[in-house]
Amino acid sequence: MNIWKGLAAAVVTVPLISAGTHAQAQDRSKTLVVAVPSDPVGLEPGGNKAEPVGSEIILNVFDTLVAWTSPEFKQLEGRLATSWTISADGKEFTFKLRDGVKFQDGTPFDAAAVKFSLERTKATNSYVKATFDLIKDIAVVSPTEVKITLSAAYPAFLSILAQPQSAIVSPAAVQKFGDRFAANPVGTGPFVFKGAQADTNVVLEANPDYFRGAPKLSKIIYRVIPDASTRRLELESGGVDIVQQQGQLSAIAAEDIEALKKNKDIKILETSSQIIRQLEFNNNKKDGPFANVKVRQAITYAIDYDGLLKGVFGGTAERVYGPLTTNSWAFNPKMKELAPKYDPALAKKLLAEAKVDPSSLDLKLYSFQGPLWGAVATFVQANLADIGVNATIQQTEFPALRALQTSGQFDVALDGRQPWYNDPDAHITIGYLSSLANTAMTFRMPEDKVLDDLVLKAQQTSDMDARKQLYFQVQEEIAKKVPGAYLFSPKLIVFQRANVEGLVVNSAPPLNEYWSVSKK
Amino acid sequence: MASFIIRRLIALIPVMCIVLVIVFSLVRLIPGDPAVTLLGPGAAQEQIDALRAQLDLDQPVILQFANYVFGLLQGDLGFSLKSGQPVTNEILMRLPATIELSVLAVIVAIIFGIPIGVLSAVRPNSIFDHITRVVSLIGVSMPAFLLALILQLIFATYLGWLPVSGRMSSFLTAETVTGFAILDGIITGNFAAAWSAVQHLVLPTAVLAAFLAATLGRFVRNTMLDVMGEDFIRTARAKGLRRSDVVLNHGLRNSLLPAITVIGLKFAEMLGGAILTETIFAWPGIGRYMFEAIKNRDYPVIQGTTLVFALIFVLTSIIVDLLYGVLDPRVRKRME
Repeated sequence: MNIWKGLAAAVVTVPLISAGTHAQAQDRSKTLVVAVPSDPVGLEPGGNKAEPVGSEIILNVFDTLVAWTSPEFKQLEGRLATSWTISADGKEFTFKLRDGVKFQDGTPFDAAAVKFSLERTKATNSYVKATFDLIKDIAVVSPTEVKITLSAAYPAFLSILAQPQSAIVSPAAVQKFGDRFAANPVGTGPFVFKGAQADTNVVLEANPDYFRGAPKLSKIIYRVIPDASTRRLELESGGVDIVQQQGQLSAIAAEDIEALKKNKDIKILETSSQIIRQLEFNNNKKDGPFANVKVRQAITYAIDYDGLLKGVFGGTAERVYGPLTTNSWAFNPKMKELAPKYDPALAKKLLAEAKVDPSSLDLKLYSFQGPLWGAVATFVQANLADIGVNATIQQTEFPALRALQTSGQFDVALDGRQPWYNDPDAHITIGYLSSLANTAMTFRMPEDKVLDDLVLKAQQTSDMDARKQLYFQVQEEIAKKVPGAYLFSPKLIVFQRANVEGLVVNSAPPLNEYWSVSKK
Repeated sequence: MASFIIRRLIALIPVMCIVLVIVFSLVRLIPGDPAVTLLGPGAAQEQIDALRAQLDLDQPVILQFANYVFGLLQGDLGFSLKSGQPVTNEILMRLPATIELSVLAVIVAIIFGIPIGVLSAVRPNSIFDHITRVVSLIGVSMPAFLLALILQLIFATYLGWLPVSGRMSSFLTAETVTGFAILDGIITGNFAAAWSAVQHLVLPTAVLAAFLAATLGRFVRNTMLDVMGEDFIRTARAKGLRRSDVVLNHGLRNSLLPAITVIGLKFAEMLGGAILTETIFAWPGIGRYMFEAIKNRDYPVIQGTTLVFALIFVLTSIIVDLLYGVLDPRVRKRME
């Protein structure tokens, strides 16, 4: 029977495949493989829209003028700039530039390149339009000195300059590649872009002439693996060295993290993030039960914050006490006392004082999609039920949720923000300035002269100490208005093989720089 | 024959037009603005408006449709909203990976499915028949993602014989000539790359082939049983033909006709299954490309990939009809 022979042959060949080559083993010890969920978008500062994979690659191929000092990320240090001064009115930023730095194509880095890069981003990158439009003029004082003049004082500008959109590009390479620069990015960074295959990988190679010293790795391969369970299997079998939990809206289940913790080949890095997730009220709504501050307070006291962190997140999230996370340099320690504590009895009392019958509150609790948000919503729903408030969960796809939110067609919703730059401005101004209420997923704050003035003043004050004090005030002022219940801040989690060393995870995106990373 | 093919190809035009109109309006009915989706929750209205203008999404839909059709007539499927690259190129780049996987899966399914069906029919209700019946039932009813996970766990994580995912080891550099990884490896003399491509193909092919092989096996068994009860089989036996002659030349040949229809239909269905398989195995084909595009509301990509899938579907059915002609003289006569 020939068919049987064929079958037998097939069965025999499958194991034979296992005898495949294990070549290039020595190459592996200096090659880092990073699993990412999707292809990077906009691999150059002029097109980057804060998409996480592309942003991270940009910061490894390019350099910015300034960067946050690891591992705290509370202080800026010079990168391509050695020092800088800010004029008394907070509008002029003068940078002394590092001498002798060369782009990866051999052309020299100088003040003209800084002017070229920032003006280019301003012209082409719609994502940063609002902030880059503040740039009035960029003057080349000398090859190693550049002066940037803004139309209004904006101290967070330095933080914007540390973002991938502000990275310095090689003008010669832009000239050479034109529209195809994103496929051939050239900067001064520790790694040189070697190539990308759609839906497959992006390959970077070490830049031996990097001005801070050649990186320890010789190669980084970003592997595009869309499925989360496949990423996990690849990590466990050693196919990849690093898996990031990037995600505005999703995270890995707590059980999976527990399982990976038991694997001694895998190390889990956890860092506090600046992401805030909250139950927010439609603060712009003049009527309805939530126009009464006591009802809002009642809801905030009804939630078992620690239970949520433990039960749903198994320790992979942290408490948030107000509009800023505890790791922000502007966090007001007093917020820890001001923040509501779990007290259902007090919640019921507050509702009674407001003369609101809890059973009359029939809420639609809007939320993002995904099992994690589902779990959070269910937890909150149970907490509300304990004080007699009925809530129906409505998980909605992001664009639809955004439409509901910006048009104000809700009473309560679960929402959150990951700031795209490292400054309190990124949470406070967009979240609470009343003139921006309808422009994005915000707290939809009603017009309030005191708070609005305070927010703008904090945004524009140049003196760091004065600015910090202003943000302290802002936080207390916001707490009085009870715009929502601050639920949790998910930690940034990176899974890595145990032999990877030196990785520092940034608390605000983009996450990782690989210059200091090595493999044992 | 030639006039038959030409007639069928002309009939293709209205079909594709209908698919185009449906898909063009359907993607715009899915709630969610691509600009909102691309920028994510942090974006302000100002940023979204700027992106909408940049992507020409602020134009009237009729105008967008006219522009699209105009481009399509010149073979231009537009530009991806996400990457800004021409969709035609992006699809052509990914098509070989999908074809490699699905064609191989069909071949594997035929190699396993038909003999199993024949053997089961020759000895109905034997132990072999019972075993294959159970295995087929599992093959048909097990969801692809579960089978994929089980195979990954056993052969990649536990035994370490095969890679978990991907199309080729990321440590190898391979030149692209045709886009078919194994073929390219052989052409360029890079046998390590070709071998790596073979290894990476095994698991996704098995997952994709399992369903078809199981369906085919049961189908061939049933039609074979019917055919083997026909008068002409009895006549053949009465003439004293060898048993293998009766089974293969008379029985199998007559059972193959309906089997080909099943293979054709299932092949088209398999392309749908490829969306899932390609995502799980990080396989860079058009199924996964389409899936990502739907998530991102990347209209031109959804339209382009749907048109390609529709085209493959229609072409497959034409090929099935032609094969009928090859196998059945009566049909061939009618075609002429």
